Amino acid sequence: MKMLTVFEKTGAARFIGHLDLQRAMQRALRRSGLPVRYSQGFNPHLLLSFASPLSVGTEGLREIMEVPLSDDVAEASFLARLNVALPQGLKASLARALPDDAPAAMARLHAARYAIRPMASADTLLAAAPAFLAQETIPFLRKTKSGERMDDLRPLILALQAEDGALRATLSCHERGTAKPEQLVAALAAFSGLPAPRCRVTREGLLDRDMRPLEGL
Amino acid sequence: MDTNWQERLEALLETVSRPARYVGGEVNQADKEWKPGMTRFCFAFPDTYEVAMSHLGMKVIYDAVNRAEGLVCERVMMPWTDMLEGMKREGIPLFSLETRTPLSAFDAVGFTLQYEMSYTNVLAMLDAGGIAVESRDRGRDAPVVIAGGPCAFNPEPLADFVDAFLMGDGETATLEMLRVIGDGRRRGLDREDILLALAQIEGVYVPRFYTPEYHGDGRLAAFSPVRAGVPARVRKRIEPDLDLAAYPETIPLPFTEAVHDRIVLEIMRGCTRGCRFCQAGMLYRPVRERSPEKLFALAEKLVASTGYEEMSLSSLSTGDYSRLPALIRGLDERFSSRRVALSLPSLRVDGELKQTLEMSSQVKKSGLTLAPEAGTQRLRDVINKGVTEEDVLRSVTEAFESGWSGVKLYFMIGLPTETDEDLLGIAELAKKVVGRYYALPREKRPRGLKVVVSASTFVPKPFTPFQWAPQDGLPEIKRKQALLRQALNIRGVEFNWHEPELSVLEACFARGDRRLGRALLAAWRSGCVLDGWSEQFDNRKWLDAFEAAGLTPAFYAQRERPEDEQLPWDFADIGVTRAYLRLEFRRALEGQTTPDCRDGCEGCGLRRFEGICPE
Repeated sequence: MKMLTVFEKTGAARFIGHLDLQRAMQRALRRSGLPVRYSQGFNPHLLLSFASPLSVGTEGLREIMEVPLSDDVAEASFLARLNVALPQGLKASLARALPDDAPAAMARLHAARYAIRPMASADTLLAAAPAFLAQETIPFLRKTKSGERMDDLRPLILALQAEDGALRATLSCHERGTAKPEQLVAALAAFSGLPAPRCRVTREGLLDRDMRPLEGL
Repeated sequence: MDTNWQERLEALLETVSRPARYVGGEVNQADKEWKPGMTRFCFAFPDTYEVAMSHLGMKVIYDAVNRAEGLVCERVMMPWTDMLEGMKREGIPLFSLETRTPLSAFDAVGFTLQYEMSYTNVLAMLDAGGIAVESRDRGRDAPVVIAGGPCAFNPEPLADFVDAFLMGDGETATLEMLRVIGDGRRRGLDREDILLALAQIEGVYVPRFYTPEYHGDGRLAAFSPVRAGVPARVRKRIEPDLDLAAYPETIPLPFTEAVHDRIVLEIMRGCTRGCRFCQAGMLYRPVRERSPEKLFALAEKLVASTGYEEMSLSSLSTGDYSRLPALIRGLDERFSSRRVALSLPSLRVDGELKQTLEMSSQVKKSGLTLAPEAGTQRLRDVINKGVTEEDVLRSVTEAFESGWSGVKLYFMIGLPTETDEDLLGIAELAKKVVGRYYALPREKRPRGLKVVVSASTFVPKPFTPFQWAPQDGLPEIKRKQALLRQALNIRGVEFNWHEPELSVLEACFARGDRRLGRALLAAWRSGCVLDGWSEQFDNRKWLDAFEAAGLTPAFYAQRERPEDEQLPWDFADIGVTRAYLRLEFRRALEGQTTPDCRDGCEGCGLRRFEGICPE
């Protein structure tokens, strides 16, 4: 079986990078004594997969990882044992036992919901959101491993509204198209004729193709 | 006091590189509650978080202090330049990771001195922490600034900045120092009186109670106590039994990958091989082993408390640990099923050890690394490095035969009596290593031969037989590096060398006197910090700083010191006598080797410390 696990990454833990998060989770699982599984081969490593990496500095409220197990464990027991081993800022809130052949969370991921709080020019940016979204195309320069190319941000913004001093955005998040909050803010700031402000970003949830929480199944 | 800096810190953390270095809260962080009457200590590592969290000594002291009743230990490291500048701009004091307490609010702040080029970081951290940089400017409330570690054995370049140094093993002595400091502060004693009380502890040196005199030409003429009640000579501290010495059963797990990110078991302290360039080999005598039983128990606790997937053994010479096969076997039996790999350094593998390794399932052999240190047998005899060309070639052949295609060879250039022939010997040896690879039948050769030859520049260190020897001047070092670069232009060989300017400064501070404090201060003020990181190092600023202090690097680095010259560190008694070091220097120049003293006492002087040296 495998355990789909929802966890938060908040407070100081938001500064942990993705590779370091993997290491932290692997070591926590090892301390927990849960029946984890290892890869085959010369240097076996603990099997673990995340639905989507989170940028350094971004908080996550309902992040998802899947932990393959060699023995059956009750969901509540899994949750309790993992939480004892986790450091401050990482906390698991839900565990769902799935068969090994259930589709991977990573493959089901379609979009992510963000709350973006600009540290400057918030009012102007929030006010500009409807007009910004009304554009047919939003060209932006995408940086890739091989260089830069022009891309259209508009189809990757699935929803955008201003609320309580924050931009609430649902952004496409799958292998055929991903937009990041920083790209959205940069484009919105450019649209408003402002420099892009620094923002406090929280990823509030991960969604499947039907815009339902990924952990809902 | 400005208390709003915590909010500004949160904003700053959003903008700096790798903020995880500054937030603390790692798994196994000691969160000991501060209660009235406790003595609060901040362990300060004068380099980055990644380096600090790789350092075993910090973990040992952190754990020992936090286990002690009435004492609290927190941690602080050197911030990277973006953070340091941001903190200054925003008025944020340097703070401890555990409770975000400014350094100035501790009873004591203690630095570990691992490397001479971290000295300006000590100054920068004191200043950023709100503590007067110079000892004489600290008032009654300022924390007592202490320091230990290998570089504390010649503490003089930092004499103006550190209130008290500890020479030798810190497990017990640090606790004694903290009790004296805490007790003195609670009783409202004058700073001077607290320091005087510290000076009564064996191994502690308080620079303000001593004064140097100099000859007209700048050489040290005399060095003596100026205050009654302090020892004329300071004898190093020794933990006689490692099974009884403090050792952590749990260690904080770095939030961001450390340079060495694994469980480290210190199996042995000290070394009796007697390599004549090696400072650690002299400083940490006598050899003391931790028993396998103790190590198994520690490893059990550490594996359970950390979840680490790798464990390594630490000592100056792991191959000399008397029960190594039993230790490796025992660790493998206990931990292989729990998927903890044991990584071993390059060892001479024969006999029982060979069998053990063949049977061990989770032993991870890293690539082969050998340190012949010099290119000819003549020069290896001079430095008393008991490695022969045949040893090297046998080891690399075994490595190639067992599937490794990469080997690393470490050398030093600029050793006493070195000639160009010795240097070219390095290239000859590298060629022979390559030859051994091609001597294997093609189908048996691992693909992708890579012989990495690293040559560091020899830095003469205090308390070694070479403490009197000159370092090569900069043009000569560069000439030798160029010669080697040319000679090592061999297919399959990669040559690495060190920044020579940095090695010259290292040599100055390694054997420096108190006057160098002025150069340190000037260098720090002109912006020299984190100089061990090549992108930060600016030699021009350092030369200007020496000039401003009226000093010349050549006086410290390149001068052969006559036998009768008083050396700035002569007041420290490390056990090994000056007479023995001098004898070893003479033997070196004659090319005469000295055997390992486990086969018979060589009279290094340690026997003067009763009951310390095994018969």
